Amino acid sequence: MERPIFHPVGTPVERLDTPALVIDLDVMDQNIRTFQGYFSATSVKARPVVTSHLCPQIAHRQLDAGGTVGGIAVTTLGEAEVFANSGFTDILLANQVVTVSKIRRLCALAGQTSIGIAVDNPDNAKQLSEGAVAAGAELRVLVEIEAGMGRCGVTPGADAVALAQVVDGLPGLRFTGIMGSVPGPKGDDDPSAHEAKSRANLQVILDNKAATEQAGLSVSVVSVGGTHCYAQAIQMPGVTEVRAGRYPLMDHRLKPFLPALAPAARILASVISHPIDGMAVLDAGHKATAPDQGRPVLEGIDGGIATRFSAEHGIVELEGDAQSKLNPGDKVWLVPYELGATVNQYDYFRASKNGKLEGFWPISARGRLA
Amino acid sequence: MNEHYRPEPGTPMEDLDTPCLVIDMDDLDHNMDVIADTYKGKSTKLRGHSKNHKTPAIAHRQIRRGGTVGGVCAAKVSEAEVMVHGGISSVFITSEIVEPMKIERLAALADQAEMLVACDQSSNARDLSKAAQARGVEISVVIELETGLARCGVRDTDSGVALAKEISALPGLRFRGVMSHQTIPDMPDREDRAVEAARTIKGVIDLKNAIEGEGILIDIVSTGETWSYDVAADIPGVTEIQGGSYLMMETHYSYMTEFHYAGKILTTIISTPRPGVAIGDAGVRAVSSLSGMPTVFERPGVTVAALDSDHAVFKLESGASLKVGDQVLLIPAQQDAMVSRWDRFIGLRKGKVEVVWDITARGCHN
Repeated sequence: MERPIFHPVGTPVERLDTPALVIDLDVMDQNIRTFQGYFSATSVKARPVVTSHLCPQIAHRQLDAGGTVGGIAVTTLGEAEVFANSGFTDILLANQVVTVSKIRRLCALAGQTSIGIAVDNPDNAKQLSEGAVAAGAELRVLVEIEAGMGRCGVTPGADAVALAQVVDGLPGLRFTGIMGSVPGPKGDDDPSAHEAKSRANLQVILDNKAATEQAGLSVSVVSVGGTHCYAQAIQMPGVTEVRAGRYPLMDHRLKPFLPALAPAARILASVISHPIDGMAVLDAGHKATAPDQGRPVLEGIDGGIATRFSAEHGIVELEGDAQSKLNPGDKVWLVPYELGATVNQYDYFRASKNGKLEGFWPISARGRLA
Repeated sequence: MNEHYRPEPGTPMEDLDTPCLVIDMDDLDHNMDVIADTYKGKSTKLRGHSKNHKTPAIAHRQIRRGGTVGGVCAAKVSEAEVMVHGGISSVFITSEIVEPMKIERLAALADQAEMLVACDQSSNARDLSKAAQARGVEISVVIELETGLARCGVRDTDSGVALAKEISALPGLRFRGVMSHQTIPDMPDREDRAVEAARTIKGVIDLKNAIEGEGILIDIVSTGETWSYDVAADIPGVTEIQGGSYLMMETHYSYMTEFHYAGKILTTIISTPRPGVAIGDAGVRAVSSLSGMPTVFERPGVTVAALDSDHAVFKLESGASLKVGDQVLLIPAQQDAMVSRWDRFIGLRKGKVEVVWDITARGCHN
């Protein structure tokens, strides 16, 4: 567990023990209002993916703000268990669950709350059916279509329709529709080129909806993800929900694609050494920032760039006036490049308003990867 | 925190819920014994770095098996707290501790265990002295010299000597010696390692000699890491080696063949969507892709083609096969980053659970 100093509410955030993952609640609430507002006047609704923050308090705020289906999506069974215990009554586990012990856990959970699950092969569907029947529960099942991720998902077309028919005929399962994930932008993707790519991938999912309906099945849910393709998804009739996770807190990677939203989660770090001109060393290394998919970005220091992260140290290179600006004990802000990986390294968000601590919010589903 | 999952001893690996962090106990013990044998009869010993395992039980196990100074290194004050609370009696924090509230925590720990800390600036030394005096404790201070990582540390001998004089005169502090970190590129052989260790460690030995020349006593020269654990111990003057990666091992150190891959991520195949492709349930959040993709353990023809947040995409060459439900073990490119994502080690011997260790210092960034 993290062992931070639990400062009293009201403490100025710049005085917090570092490294600290700090949320600005006003920025977060504005992001939630803005993004979920896109869904207010359309039949398409948002389904918040809580994997991005793993924090029930934030998820409750999302559902309270409107524009959602009233439920959430998770990536792992462990996350589903945590959020079920935190009062969520509609949870879509947008992933495959295949082992005997996990199917047992999943069906036990389905006895407590409404659970949706993604399926991409008929054998798995049969095992889920047996598990659900044995537990006296019902699972809502979405057939996952491969839509460009190169990951899970049944091949679009005849295979996908056949799988839907298998699911529809199995006891304990309720075929509710189809889902697909659309690949997010890579670092240097041009936003308009990315939009065109997303549209083509979303069309693959919609074509499968049509094919499944032609086979005589009723498709009540077409669930697509993620945050980056919301604008295209809203414009495409047939999509019923957009699974989106990163919009409340945002990250550097998604910023060019959602310019109306601002980073609400940042890492506060301290300078611990300024050994030579042109360099400062921070107390936040890769364990505190998870730069696996991209380096966090130093904020607010003109001429300062975070260039290296070893296990426990971050290196800031300083040019011009910035050389004399950072001294041992000084605080700096880093914007995460990839939110999910960063959140995964912490047990608490330090929630703040107007620069003052509001409380320590547990990242309750952290580490629940299984 | 994943409180609910604690498999019983005797549970076969096939029945574990995945992904999970497993450690092969035979390999772990072997790696510990390499250390014990290497330092047997030598005055140089290992001070194992706890940042790599973050688990007091593992620190105690290495100390019991031998080859160590009887204490550990830690990277952070909160990590040091976990080690002290876990019964380790001497902890060397190998980073500079500069913020007042962290210095207070360090001083409080110095009342419970021998605490050593790295220092590279005189204002910090004065802050440490004040805190130690106020509490009536003694903090041991080791000067860090920069020798190749371009990070913290004094930059030359003269600055080091000046700082040593200052620390020696400060109440509440006990000046103990000097430390350095260094790295080595590529895939060196033993001779390359010996040459590079001698070259980079020379600076810290020169600093030790210069400080002793001023009549100041030094009892610690702490340097080295896994890549130099053996060759640095042959350099006269070095008293202790900092090393931690050797315990779990990683492909980055694949040339250190005397150590076994002990720490791995166990993943289950959840989908085989197309011929030649299988999807595992472990991604960046489980294993990390820092320093490169993880390597598949003992499954010829299977490689990790991509690692998403929660999925591994395996590529299968012709002849290799994986079906839904199969388990795959992944060796990390960097074990430190992998361990920092987990709350517990599941210790396996001959494929069955022997022990479950809580990684109590996981998340100790402060």
